[in-house]
Amino acid sequence: MAAGGGGVADSLSPAGVPCAFSPHSQAYFALASADGHLRVWETASNRLHQEYVPSAHLSGTCTCLAWAPARLQAKESPQRKKRKSEPIGTSNQTDLLALGTAVGSILLYSTVKGELHSKLISGGHDNKVNCIQWHQENGCLYSCSDDKHIVEWNTQTCRVKCKWKGDNSSVSSLCISPDGKMLLSAGRTIKLWVLETKEVYRHFTGHATPVSSLMFTTIRPPNENQPFDGITGLYFLSGAVHDRLLNVWQVRSENKEKNAVMSFTVTDEPVYIDLTLSENREEPVKLAVVCRDGQVHLFEHILNGYCKKPLTSNCTIQIVTPGKGKKSTPKPIPILAAGFCSDKMSLLLVYGNWFQPTIERVALNSKEPHMCLVRDISNCWAPKVETAVTKVRTPVMNSEAKVLVPGIPGHHAAIKPTPPQTEKVESKRKLGGNELSIEERLGTLDIDSKKEKDDLPQTNSFPVLLAQGLESNDFEMLNKVLQTRNLNLIKRTVLRMPLHAVIPLLQELTKRLQGHPNSAVLMVQWLKCVLTVHASYLSTLPDLVPQLGTLYQLMESRVKTFQKLSHLHGKLILLITQVTASEKTKGMTCPEQKAKLVYEEESSEEESDDEIDKDSDDNWDEDEEEEESEKDEDIDEENEEEVEDTEEKDDENGEDRDVASEKELNGDSDLDPENESEEE
Amino acid sequence: MVEEESLRVVHCGGSELNFRRAVFSADSKYIFCVSGDFVKVYSTATEECVHILQGHRNLVTGIHLNPNNHLQLYSCSFDGTIKLWDYIDGILIKTFVVGHKLHALFTHAHAEDSVFVIINKETPDIFQLVSVKLPKSSSQEIEAEEISFVLDYVNQSPKCIAFGHEGEYVAAVRDFYLSVYFFKKKKTSRFILSSSRSKKHAKNNFTCIACHPKEDCIATGHKDGKIRLWRNFDDDKKYTYTCLHWHHDMVMDLAFSVTGSSLLSGGRESVLVEWRDATEKNKEFLPRLGATIEHISVSPAGDLFCTSHSDNKIIVIQRNLEASAVIQGLVKDSNIFTGLVIDPRTKALVLNGKPGHLQFYSLQSDKQLYNLDIVQQEYINDHGLIQIELTKAAFGCYGNWLATVEQRQEKETELELQMKLWTYNKKTQGFVLNTKISMPHEDHITALCFGNAEKSENPTLVTASKDGHFKVWILTDDSDIYKQAVGWTCDFVGSYHKYQATNCCFSEDGSLLAVSFEEIVTIWDSETWELKCTFCQRAGKIRNLCFGRLTCSKYLLGATENGILCCWNLLSCALEWSAKLNIRVMEPDPNSENVAAVSQSSVGSDLFVFKPSEPRPLYIQKNICREEVQWGVFVPRDVPESFTSEAYQWLNRSQFYFLTKSQSLLTFSTKSPEEKLTPTSKQLLAEESLPTTPFYFILGKHRQQQDEKLNKALEDELIQLPLTENIPAISELLHTPAHVLPSASYLCSMFVNSLLLSKETKSAEELPDDIDMEEEKESEDSDEENDFTEKVQDTDNTDLGEDIIHQLSKSEEKELRKFRKVDYSWITAL
Repeated sequence: MAAGGGGVADSLSPAGVPCAFSPHSQAYFALASADGHLRVWETASNRLHQEYVPSAHLSGTCTCLAWAPARLQAKESPQRKKRKSEPIGTSNQTDLLALGTAVGSILLYSTVKGELHSKLISGGHDNKVNCIQWHQENGCLYSCSDDKHIVEWNTQTCRVKCKWKGDNSSVSSLCISPDGKMLLSAGRTIKLWVLETKEVYRHFTGHATPVSSLMFTTIRPPNENQPFDGITGLYFLSGAVHDRLLNVWQVRSENKEKNAVMSFTVTDEPVYIDLTLSENREEPVKLAVVCRDGQVHLFEHILNGYCKKPLTSNCTIQIVTPGKGKKSTPKPIPILAAGFCSDKMSLLLVYGNWFQPTIERVALNSKEPHMCLVRDISNCWAPKVETAVTKVRTPVMNSEAKVLVPGIPGHHAAIKPTPPQTEKVESKRKLGGNELSIEERLGTLDIDSKKEKDDLPQTNSFPVLLAQGLESNDFEMLNKVLQTRNLNLIKRTVLRMPLHAVIPLLQELTKRLQGHPNSAVLMVQWLKCVLTVHASYLSTLPDLVPQLGTLYQLMESRVKTFQKLSHLHGKLILLITQVTASEKTKGMTCPEQKAKLVYEEESSEEESDDEIDKDSDDNWDEDEEEEESEKDEDIDEENEEEVEDTEEKDDENGEDRDVASEKELNGDSDLDPENESEEE
Repeated sequence: MVEEESLRVVHCGGSELNFRRAVFSADSKYIFCVSGDFVKVYSTATEECVHILQGHRNLVTGIHLNPNNHLQLYSCSFDGTIKLWDYIDGILIKTFVVGHKLHALFTHAHAEDSVFVIINKETPDIFQLVSVKLPKSSSQEIEAEEISFVLDYVNQSPKCIAFGHEGEYVAAVRDFYLSVYFFKKKKTSRFILSSSRSKKHAKNNFTCIACHPKEDCIATGHKDGKIRLWRNFDDDKKYTYTCLHWHHDMVMDLAFSVTGSSLLSGGRESVLVEWRDATEKNKEFLPRLGATIEHISVSPAGDLFCTSHSDNKIIVIQRNLEASAVIQGLVKDSNIFTGLVIDPRTKALVLNGKPGHLQFYSLQSDKQLYNLDIVQQEYINDHGLIQIELTKAAFGCYGNWLATVEQRQEKETELELQMKLWTYNKKTQGFVLNTKISMPHEDHITALCFGNAEKSENPTLVTASKDGHFKVWILTDDSDIYKQAVGWTCDFVGSYHKYQATNCCFSEDGSLLAVSFEEIVTIWDSETWELKCTFCQRAGKIRNLCFGRLTCSKYLLGATENGILCCWNLLSCALEWSAKLNIRVMEPDPNSENVAAVSQSSVGSDLFVFKPSEPRPLYIQKNICREEVQWGVFVPRDVPESFTSEAYQWLNRSQFYFLTKSQSLLTFSTKSPEEKLTPTSKQLLAEESLPTTPFYFILGKHRQQQDEKLNKALEDELIQLPLTENIPAISELLHTPAHVLPSASYLCSMFVNSLLLSKETKSAEELPDDIDMEEEKESEDSDEENDFTEKVQDTDNTDLGEDIIHQLSKSEEKELRKFRKVDYSWITAL
């Protein structure tokens, strides 16, 4: 029951151009724009279905349009009439579209054939056609015009059946009663005509300005006990130009009708009205009013009797553009038309500009009084000719999309630490990490650099750089170290790096492995070194599984092609390197690892050294280390001298350490399989 | 609802359009194509179906315009009849009963009242081209028994037979030879290409043929992609041929333009090639047509071409090789892996479309909405290439999420899998890729489902795979400090004893997940992902799995490959009931408790509708189709129906659609067949009355005079018109700018005629066509009586005393309309 509300076409305003949804399933939306083109859009795919330019489109622009009702029911025998309410599905193809022009002619356009079907001229109007209404059943067409006349056309012969003077001024709007026997016309007053005799049945004092829309809102009278003559008791609706009130009238049995029964208030002049007919008393009438200001007001009301106060809308729908950046504020997008879908629960909204409108189905399930939809229609301006022919839509694939490949966290379920305790510890650690201020970090860095200055030969060396980079998360510093291709250098660096940096390094490597395959090649060398050299250390960690879970998944997915072979290969390499390493280290000077904290007990030096090593081995973590360093800052300062003193002894200790590391390496051969199996 | 109306299976989804060459009407306004048992008339301008010509009882195999009256169309069918149609109004004029199974139909202007058909008489594989004389008779149904033999041992495809210019000869190809039959000489010439097994000539087979419309020249297409142009073939010795070679694969069809100046060819490359002047150098291409070109046809007016493609579409192409319209049915090229899915947003049916695309098909308007390019790779249509296939698709959260799975498998071990998760962006009204997961599983993904719980803030997706795992993917906040983003990550991986996961589905409230591992069904708690219980029936692998809905939500249904349907009670964890039924498709109705199951038997497919709570079905329809049903889906209705009959109540809120192996989409309808006829007859609503133009004044009047002449001869009724009537028309002609006038030679004879005949004119302004139309309608459909009488009244009302309506007989009226059309055709062309 969509009807063109565009009685008055204002070429400047986008709202108010004559437009209408096709009846029943609303598959099409016809819009006659100010440039004289008729465009028919498919509502489901938002595609331009066809475009038609009447030959006289410049002199006689289209002023109103109306879809012909689907012609199915006309053929049915009366006893089957019940089925009228049933949707006919695919077979109710709508075809004819009537266009009224500014010069008084009426064109019938066939949307199926895409050509002009017929032209109704002879004996018709000689001024602007204001409104066209199709009769539901008998194929008649009613039109009214500025020439004060109403004309009844026979569309089969394309001839005038009857023509009568409708008012003393121009007749602006028409509406046919639900039973098809009466006609409402609006000129200076609203008149109800009996179609058979063309006599005035009722008068209604209308609006102060020309009525732009008329519409019956009910098909059954409110009081169902009384005998129904087809018209008495029905409500209808009227809207007028420059009037922000929609009036509801009731056809009463008594003759004189002075005032409207009730009224709806909207924010601006209504340009398009659609409603769902209420079929019984309980069902409310749903009304969607598109105003000139581009908003839609929704009303839901059970019509019964008088109501003095104008009713305000239950829901207002607005559409705005997204405000991009800082400068542009969201701008409203005008809504051109709104039509209820056949399920009465959703609304088809047409918005944007009239030459490229967007049609969207909006569900009406929200109870909120104001709906503001943010829509980006900027890309709708691009020509869509290609899509129109090929019907291919390309969804957006931009770089912002997340890519998951095997091995990246999220591709496989994260390996969660089995005991819940560790989780707590982790969270605590995190908190502790967060508490660290930048100042404090800088402080620790300063201390580091101070130390570096102290022993110059080490400043530029890779292990230190690496450790610093990992601590400070300095991308450039890490790059400098990790992008080396020198295998020996890598080996030495790994060997000399502080143990506490092993886990952070592994995590960093994991992160980098997920990146570009080219860079991953380098990282593999590092990873290999770290795993071979520090396997023993890693195997001692209690929370290894959650910490290196992603690395494990990544490795597994990367070596999937020859899984068993690469496992064997890995194990052999591990064995061989460690054997050779143990042989080599006998002759090599041990990498120096300066203890960060030396805690001296009364007992001998050797013992204390061992203890510290153990400590760091057991649960050495980045954050913990930082905590410790925090705590120990004071101590450090105090002990600095002592440390310096002990440095001398380090050379001696070196040999001891060598032994220790050798022990570890030898012990590895036992631990090794375990480690591997963990990784598998 | 009237009780006696029974539930019928009806086709929907624009059945096959590419079976035979499409045919243009004389004015290129309409295009005809065969579609199952029907002939469809489409408008070339709007792509809309104007009429469906129905009446054949079996597959329609050929259509051709009547060469003697271009407003009529011949069609032939496997049911052994040739029917003559008036396609403007969609009316069947005549039926000629031939009796044999007709495989193709040909007509040409020089064979007076006879048509050519291909039949097979004795042995099943031998086809003959025969001419059938169509007897003239006024009756509706005529026996056409006068059959004369033309050519034996022809190919059954109409592409392999062509008639030469002026109808002097007919050429047919089969395998390695070309035979030409000359009607005048009654002689057959035969030209054989070498068919040796050597590599060079192995693919010399003829595939199609076309004859030049003006010259003695035959073009043949070959399997190796060559086109040969034969000349001088009236001489067995002196014949020559030239080769054109561009196609690298079989030439599927050939067509000459109307003037014969260019030759069109197409094949699997999906490129339309236009050979100008039949030379190899002058080629024009129209590439990227999407799918293999199966047929090419040319409009008689010469302004349009059209190509029929293997993906069930017809592309209308302008003379300058620009596609102007696409008539697209349901895409049927590829296999349907995705099944039938309903997009909750648009209520459109979603399934595999073009290669690498998802097609959105509107069931309400029976039209394709669009294809969504998922794979986004240029499709190279070549034999033997292994393409990326779209295997799964699912919508979640009211259509806000779309998950797709694509795969490409070259060898057994080289599987490439990719899962994409698209989000619907409301701002731009389109899908945007959110997460791309490569190799989500190590083996084929067998099932994909969203947890459609009410709490939409936490969407969940489950994939089941042959690698023995099922993975739960959840949407997580992926935002780091740089961007606010959400993405999908794997939350849980489940498995059960290394069995392959075959199906998965969520319960209605989303609290339980059922995953079937071959024979075993496992139930998981969707909050904690704990295994709750397992069901095992040891009755074969589970093929379908679904939870009951609404009041039956405590039931779980599973259908196995061994033909057992089981229903488990989730509260008691026990088998409730089981039935022996070989179920192919099982679909729950989202709006009710009902479940539809289609079972396969040796005879055909049967439909059962039941509630899980009771083992007795609500409704059984035996033999819904002969083929295997592959997929089915319930589509919620916009407006609920009100079937009172208990058997049909399951159709009240949803409609059941199913797809067979041959990819025809079927559904159930209770509407009587007559109702389906209406689209054709409702077009009669209003008679065309075209606006008057200056030419109309000149020629229209003349036409009327001619009509009057006829009328006079028939009814001897004449009204004198003043002689001056013609003079303004003449002056108008003289004052009209010359450049808008038709050529003088065209106008001259008519103009002179009009001067000569000016005495026998009358004032009647319009043709009495409307009345005739009504007559026809009346004879067609007696239901229309009310309408008719009303119309008569109408004309009475409007009759202002100047019109006298003439009653014409049917044949006269046909004649008249023909005249009228002749005049119109050039007016509208201007």
